Order: sequence, then structure tokens, then C-alpha cells
Amino acid sequence: MTDGRSSPNTTGEIVVSRLTKIYGNARAVNDLSFRVEPGRVTGFLGPNGAGKTTTLRMLLNLVTPTAGQATIGGRRYADLTDPVRHVGAVLEASSAHKGRTGINHLRVICTAAGLPRSRADEVLTQVGLAPAAQRKFKGYSLGMKQRLGIAAAMLGDPRVLILDEPANGLDPEGIRWMRGFLKSLAAEGRTVLVSSHLLSEMQLLADDVVIIAAGRLIRQGPVDRVIGSMAQTARVRVRSPQAETLRAALEQQSATVDVDDQGALLVRGVDAPTIGRVALAASVELHELATERPDLEGVFLELTAGKAGIR
Amino acid sequence: MSNLVRAELVKIRTTSTWWIMTLIYLPLWGITLAFNWLQTDALTRTRLDDVPAEQSEAVGAVAQPDALAANLYTNGQFFGLLMVMLLGIVVVTGEFFHQTVTTTFLTTPRRSAVVLAKLAATACLALIFWLVTTSANLLAGPAVLEVVGVSAQWGSAVWEAVVLNGLAYLLWAFFGVGLGTLIRSQLGATVTGILLYLGGTIGALTVLVMAANRFGDWINNLQLLVPSLASALMTTGVDIPGEPPRWAGAAVLIGYGLLSGLIGILIMRRRDVS
Repeated sequence: MTDGRSSPNTTGEIVVSRLTKIYGNARAVNDLSFRVEPGRVTGFLGPNGAGKTTTLRMLLNLVTPTAGQATIGGRRYADLTDPVRHVGAVLEASSAHKGRTGINHLRVICTAAGLPRSRADEVLTQVGLAPAAQRKFKGYSLGMKQRLGIAAAMLGDPRVLILDEPANGLDPEGIRWMRGFLKSLAAEGRTVLVSSHLLSEMQLLADDVVIIAAGRLIRQGPVDRVIGSMAQTARVRVRSPQAETLRAALEQQSATVDVDDQGALLVRGVDAPTIGRVALAASVELHELATERPDLEGVFLELTAGKAGIR
Repeated sequence: MSNLVRAELVKIRTTSTWWIMTLIYLPLWGITLAFNWLQTDALTRTRLDDVPAEQSEAVGAVAQPDALAANLYTNGQFFGLLMVMLLGIVVVTGEFFHQTVTTTFLTTPRRSAVVLAKLAATACLALIFWLVTTSANLLAGPAVLEVVGVSAQWGSAVWEAVVLNGLAYLLWAFFGVGLGTLIRSQLGATVTGILLYLGGTIGALTVLVMAANRFGDWINNLQLLVPSLASALMTTGVDIPGEPPRWAGAAVLIGYGLLSGLIGILIMRRRDVS
């Protein structure tokens, strides 16, 4: 981004290195390392309780790490001279005073950060909340609260945006708006890190993903590659009137065969052409032969299986 | 830093707490004025011969015109200090109650600066409370003195009491901020503050009087350690025989004020916000 304020050698790269947080006996985040590149939307995924929020809060100096560190553009958040102009963060939808109007919520931040008060009006317009500027926060819907959070994050025109579950509570229209907004920010060269558990949404939004479970990194990389890396375990769905014959023949080829509740065979370990040849050799009639490419959700569930939940 | 103080003042101004406190405070000010009127009236009628011998010195001291005037010009202190302490509590605990502390620390990761700004903003508010109260007292006080037949006093002792009263407002605001950082729950901090202020005063007085009867009068000097008694002592306008000097009350309060501010900063710096 050709922003006069940003010096050329400090990119908006986020680097998390060996980050650990221990609460009592629980390792909420365990030796976690990953990078987030500028100019891309990075999805930060994990089951509930995986440590996503704790990681983001450590990145933003709200929670002190037990070990390791996280930097934004090479510096810890606490060391940024003008954090609001570098990093915008949306952490929870309900973090404004209930009795304060939306515009006043933003003006408080402007005053503290030394930004002109006019920025408050500008960002409210940017997120489409200008008509509700004078309404008190307690009168906002969940979607409006999310938009106000994003408006607050945009006040300093930051190069880095960090959002924790921003799609929570948004209606389909709001989710589509959010997707377009975040993509356009990344297209401008900004760093966008979004945590979520809505996997289908992430597949539409993210360029890269970082998947964690039980506080540990499971996989990171571009969405396509992460999905592709699991394609070896892609399964093929086969229907045949002589299913048992075919199953025996496939198992001789060291394939794993399961039967789903509709009687179709779910074959792993061999690809579709091989199955076709085996069927031909065994003179088995095929009614359906379809490779099921795993989507992000399938990959995610497979990667995090057994690691989710309460520890 | 001035940006942060202004931001804290905007926070206070854009919510309803300050005027709710003011609305509660106004009738309480009126009640204390009526009470002090009666007290002033009674003291000017008291003949020292009627008072038990061991108390006659003390009663004589507070019945001096300077003491009567000082008492009236610092009228409303009892509830005013309570109000600014509660405001100090709300300035901190409100951030946790409404989860705005996340936004605050994201905007300003230097947490000591945030606490200092809160102390400064609460101090501004306390001084406004003091200024308005004192203005009202300087109108009502002389009128009361006139009614009971004492001429209005404008000597240095009276002004000293008025200024020390301002110091008391300031320091109680600091206690509030300190207490708010110690007890993050808004309800918990408010209840604790009120109990310490009201119950603490009455409880400590009872205990001290009993202890003084048993162990001797020097125990009375310990009332200095009870913040609300120390601030009342500070603004008596005259030194009362048998009680510690006024400057000692001020010194103790300043000590408490600094201590609570410091504890507030140390706690805030270390605390995880999640």
C-alpha cells in the first residue's frame, strides 16, 4: 500500500512464534507459530475452545503470553507508537457502552488516538451505519453492533485488520457485505486476519487458512493447497446392483470400502479409473461413479477430529 | 496524555452516570445544609457549663465562629465525597461492565497512561463537584450564620478549610479509581465503597470510642487511619483539643490517595483482558 505513513520496510505481516498461554493446568495455546501475509484474507479456523480468541488477544496485547511472542509488521502491539493507525481489531460485538450513541463511541476512540472527529462520521458512512449514528448502542441489532465494531477498527485507516468471528449474528445480506468489504481491503494490500468457525463462509472468503485445534497448529497455507493436501484421502462413491461382488474385488486391490445408508459404496485408497477397470474386469454393472472432492469443511473435520471441545 | 484525559472526559460526558449522581447529590446537599443549620443553631445556644467537663474543651472549639463557618462552607462533604468516590469507581468498573476496556486498551496499549488519565479525569470531575458545592455553600452558609446571629467569617482559617475540602474531594475520587481497579465488578466495588465509607466511619468510631475508654485517649489519634474520619478532621477549620491536628488528616489522606492510584496502575498493567 502506498501509504505515506507506513515506512517501506515494515509490512503488515503478522508473525506468531511459539506462542503459549497456560491458564491453571490448561494449555489454551500451545507452542503455536504461523504467519499471515499482507494482501490476502487469512481465515483463522478451529473448533470452539481451540484457542483462537486467546491467540488474537495475545497478538493484541490484551492477554500476556506465558511464552513466545507475536508481532505485527515486526513489532509487538504494545510497542506500536500509534496502534490505531496500524491495526484495526474487531473482537466482540458487544464492546461499547450501552448508553452511549454509536457516533460518540467512535468519537471517544478518535479523541484518545488523536484522530480528527470527522473520521467517526466517515467510517460510519463506510459501513452503512450513518442513519443510526445518534442511536444508543443498546438499540442496535447484533448486525449493527458488528458494523460499528468494524467502523471503529477502520478509524485509523490501518494496514492490518484482525477480526474475531465477525460474521456472528449477521444476516445473509450482512455476511455478503462483510465478504465484499474484507476482500476489497485485502485487494488494497492490507493484511486481513479473520477467525471463524463458519467453514463454508471461509471457503468463499479466505485466500489462506490457519487451522488450529487444542491450541496447536494443525495446518496452514492457501485454501486450495490445504484442501488438496487431503485429496489423497478423497473417496469415491460407487453404486452398483452387485455391490458385494464389487466390494470383494476392490478390497483385493487394497481399497477401503464402506457402505453408506443408501447402499452406495464409499471407496478410499483407489481412484475412480481404477474402480472402473476393476468393475469391468469383474463384469460388474456401475450406476454411479463419483469422486467426492473434500471441501474445507470436510478437511477441517478430518483434521480436527477428536481434538475439539472442552479440555 | 492530554488526548487520553479528554477521551476519558468524553466517556463520562456521553453517558448518564454523572447527571444521575448529580441528581442524587442535590437533595442530599439540601439535607446536610438543614442538618448543619440545626447544629450551628444548637452550638451557638450551648452554654459550656451544661456540657460534661471532659467534652467542654472540644465543644468550645467547634462552637468558635471560625469552626461554625468552616463547617457550613464545607457543607455537603459527607455525601459529596461519597459521590465522587462512586464516580471514580464507575469510571473504572464501567469499562469492565460494558466490556469497553477491550477497545480502550486496543486504542492505548500503555495501560499506566490509561489509569493516569482516569485519575486525572475523575479529579476534574471531583473539582467540579467541589466548585459547585462550595459556590452554593458560600451563598447559603453566610445566610445561616446570619440567622443564628453569628457574623459571616472570611478569615484564613475558613478558606483553609474550603481548600482542604477540595483536596478531600480530589483524594476520594482517587480512592474510587483505586477501589474500582481492585474490585472489577461494578456492583461489588460500589457496595464495598459505600460500606467502607458509611459503615467504616460508624464502625470505626464505635470501636475507637470503646478502645479509648479502655486504653486511654491516645487511641483517639488512630481515627486518622480511617479515611473518612481523616477527611472530616482535615476540614474542621480549627484544631480541636483531644484530636489529632488537621495537617495529619491531610497527610494520611494524600498517602491513601497515592497508594490507591499506584495499586490501580500496578493491577491494570498485569491483568489479562478476556
